[in-house]
Amino acid sequence: MSTHNHEHHISTAGQLWAVGTALLILTIITVVVAKFIAIPPPLDVVAAISIALVKAFLVAAFFMNLYWDVKFNAMLLVMAVIFFLLMISITLLDTMYRNDVVPSF
Amino acid sequence: MANHSTSHPTHVHHHFVDSDQQFDTAKLGMWVFLVNEILFFGGLFCAYIIYRAWYPELFQMAALELNTFWGAVNTVVLIGSSLTVAMAIRSAQKNQMKGLKINLLITIGLALVFMVIKGFEYTHKFELGIFPGEYYTYEGLDHPKAAIFFSIYYMLTGVHALHVIIGIGLIYWIYLRAKKGEFSSEYYTPVEITGLYWHLVDLIWIFLFPLLYLIE
Repeated sequence: MSTHNHEHHISTAGQLWAVGTALLILTIITVVVAKFIAIPPPLDVVAAISIALVKAFLVAAFFMNLYWDVKFNAMLLVMAVIFFLLMISITLLDTMYRNDVVPSF
Repeated sequence: MANHSTSHPTHVHHHFVDSDQQFDTAKLGMWVFLVNEILFFGGLFCAYIIYRAWYPELFQMAALELNTFWGAVNTVVLIGSSLTVAMAIRSAQKNQMKGLKINLLITIGLALVFMVIKGFEYTHKFELGIFPGEYYTYEGLDHPKAAIFFSIYYMLTGVHALHVIIGIGLIYWIYLRAKKGEFSSEYYTPVEITGLYWHLVDLIWIFLFPLLYLIE
């Protein structure tokens, strides 16, 4: 990874404020969608998670600088998410298809 | 690399080729740690998902005990602190040491606001008898598994709050080093890396807020 000899990317103050403002607006949207627009389940969860994913993308790409960073670091984040999804899916394959839920659970 | 004593800036350790390689290596190390953090919180989110799939009605009822207003305020506070950390890194990159210190102090201030609000939320629940697990004594929720929601709530928000406290310590440490004049546009690796940690704390909260406070 030492082959590139680039200047570190410096975001302008305007860019950082734009990302911060976008995160603020998305926060307002997520509250409004949850509290004032009655989306039937399970679509309400889908909406909430989708907005959270957009916010997470903004933070990771532009605050954590992954957009301009060496791609290996972005790959690490993607792998973490993939393994997280793997952990959930395998666990749910068990818990959602049990004949009897363990009583004390 | 035979004659490396003359070409190396003082902050570069001798086992690195140059400042850039040292910077990238440190950042890679931090990202590996963040992967570990994501999977650590992932286990808790997994518990959340399983119990929400088993008892969806419990999560709808119990979320009403959480105060959406203060949760939203804390979301805004953390987003603001992420912005000031990004601004602190930008200041370091541009060699503006005063801006670096001011932005770090604002970040600490916002993190303290977050903790104070969280403290009030916890105290309010303790007064109602909403404790985790077997210590749960609240009568206002008619569900046999009511304690489980709050066990998950306290684990997720408690571990997150622990990260905020550690973050406050780290950012204060960076502030002290900035005050001693250890950083410049040539060397600001610890600022960058602590910033990455702080953004992750913000990232986790971005998911916690809708998943805990915004269930209708």
